[in-house]
Amino acid sequence: MHRTEDVLATLSMIRQHKLDVRTVTMGIDLAPCASPDVAVLCDRIRARLIHYAGRLRVVCREVEARYGIPIVNRRIAVSPIGRVAAGQKSEGLLAVARTLDAVAAEVEVDLVGGFTALVQKGWTDSERRLIAALPEVLSTTQRVCSSVNVGTTAAGINMDAIAALGHVLKETAERTRDHDGFGCAKLVIFGNAPNDNPFMAGAFHGAGETDCVINIGVSGPGVVKAAVEDLVAHSPVKPTLGDIAEEIKSTAFRVTRVGELIGREVAARLGVAFGIVDLSLAPTPQIGDSVGEILQAMGVSRLGGPGSTAALALLNDAVKKGGSFASSSVGGLSGAFVAVSEDSALARAVEVGDLTLAKLEAMTAVCSVGLDMIAVPGDTDAETLSALIADEVAIGVINHKTTAVRVIPVPGKKAGDRAVFGGLFGEMDILPIHAAGGSAEFVRHGGRIPAPLSSLRN
Amino acid sequence: MSSYMISVTAADRVGIVYSVTGALLDLGGNVLELSQTVMRGYFTIILEADFPTPRTREQIVEAIHERGKRFDLQVQVTEIKDGLAEPQAAGGERFILTVLGDDSPGIVHSIAGSLAAHGANIVDLHARVDGPRFSLVMEALIPHDLTPAAIRSELERYGRAHKLEAFVQHEDIFAATTEPSPVRLAAALRSQGDSLASH
Repeated sequence: MHRTEDVLATLSMIRQHKLDVRTVTMGIDLAPCASPDVAVLCDRIRARLIHYAGRLRVVCREVEARYGIPIVNRRIAVSPIGRVAAGQKSEGLLAVARTLDAVAAEVEVDLVGGFTALVQKGWTDSERRLIAALPEVLSTTQRVCSSVNVGTTAAGINMDAIAALGHVLKETAERTRDHDGFGCAKLVIFGNAPNDNPFMAGAFHGAGETDCVINIGVSGPGVVKAAVEDLVAHSPVKPTLGDIAEEIKSTAFRVTRVGELIGREVAARLGVAFGIVDLSLAPTPQIGDSVGEILQAMGVSRLGGPGSTAALALLNDAVKKGGSFASSSVGGLSGAFVAVSEDSALARAVEVGDLTLAKLEAMTAVCSVGLDMIAVPGDTDAETLSALIADEVAIGVINHKTTAVRVIPVPGKKAGDRAVFGGLFGEMDILPIHAAGGSAEFVRHGGRIPAPLSSLRN
Repeated sequence: MSSYMISVTAADRVGIVYSVTGALLDLGGNVLELSQTVMRGYFTIILEADFPTPRTREQIVEAIHERGKRFDLQVQVTEIKDGLAEPQAAGGERFILTVLGDDSPGIVHSIAGSLAAHGANIVDLHARVDGPRFSLVMEALIPHDLTPAAIRSELERYGRAHKLEAFVQHEDIFAATTEPSPVRLAAALRSQGDSLASH
């Protein structure tokens, strides 16, 4: 017999603290679909996606019912289209994007990631055309998500691609002006992108993966927050930060185990490989499902104030430690996301002026991803956006970690105005960019920032 | 060889297990399985014992009463007959049923009735009332041809009518979240996949 206390504790994580499986993401290799004939290419892509993902919805429902754990999103990540559709002109790339969009709707997944280019060291003509096509793809499809990896520690930083992406963001935002530039929320610009990340919008099925794989994204900021609050409120003596780290670690263990179990079962039922569990504390706009609230529970009442970075570092490290014991297949990003518009506490901190872009950039040095879901003034020039991307990617490249930018220049709105993206994407006050417009010449140099030295790391 | 199921109940005091097992030892008995709990101040023990030389129920009851006379023990002894110890109930997968909410008479009865109607076998159950709050955690074997959703929807319907929340979850989820042992799927499940070939 399981101890009643254990049963109730697990149940409490699920029903009160919003523990769920955030994403079941099926990664599918599309390399065998390649063809110079765009019609053949699209037909092959469609057939292959349906072959593998046709039963994904049914199986997820079965597993949900078995364990009573909600599976919130079903998604597909495909091989980087920049390589699968190599040689295609712009029309061919658009046809592929529309095929992905249509099949995603047909198999009832909410997003399909992988309209992706990996251009850290250089770009092919196809990848250049793919990046140029992004504004149209992101503004005319519903489910297609894109990512561009513009730098790695080994290769350095492709500033030509970053310069182009500044313009892509501007144009994408303009094309989705009616939704506060929402098209940009479906584009993630990475440094050191992991090959097995199941979290959108940046998911893709990377090189070195098998034909088809099930990756799991488990979230759970609500569970961690509840554990920290409970420890602080009920400890007989005031807990130290070491005690708090231990509490987070053991909670992360339990959360990861849920993902491990469900991922293995979904993969087994589908007869495909199980990949990784990505234990990322990804917030939602719901109150209580916030990374910011975890920091507040730790005693940082003003998010963005001194101590915020240290608290986030503690959280991120403890999450990784707990997760790594729970599964030998932890991968992806596995840490805390500070997706501002999606996190009610972070969005509130921006609103009251405590959380600035500069502080967010500092915090990204110790957390997963980077400048995530951040609305900036619509009149920000393309070079300034590129410079913002370059700064964030540089943090990742120099520090051997993944960083990313998902920034939205909101057309027609200025700092302090409200940007509303809706649903899980949330809303926030637009953040000003300090000293904007002063880096155009730097960005226009283009070329590649050389790979950093790996020794002499101080 | 004679075998007996023996149950003993009394107000909880130190030394009851010592006395009961001592009485059995005096009769040459050997304890094969034993389960003991204390609920709201009352001690209950149930055990299986066998005896190499024939013993009657009366001898066992008398010995236990003699050894434990200071405890005012209530003793029940049932002889185990050949074949009766074999499982009589249907098998199935083990699910945890949890019911939480306002107390009212008849909750356990209604839920047990619902499970019995579906052929689900209760193998462990703990329920308690704290003030106005009722909680129940039960392990039940749900037949393979019955989906947890069927049980869940019936319990939820009952719960809505009685201000209760009901949950039905496979036991693996609790093992995974509370035990450090590796996550393993049942062998049957592992072979269930369709093994999608490359397209």
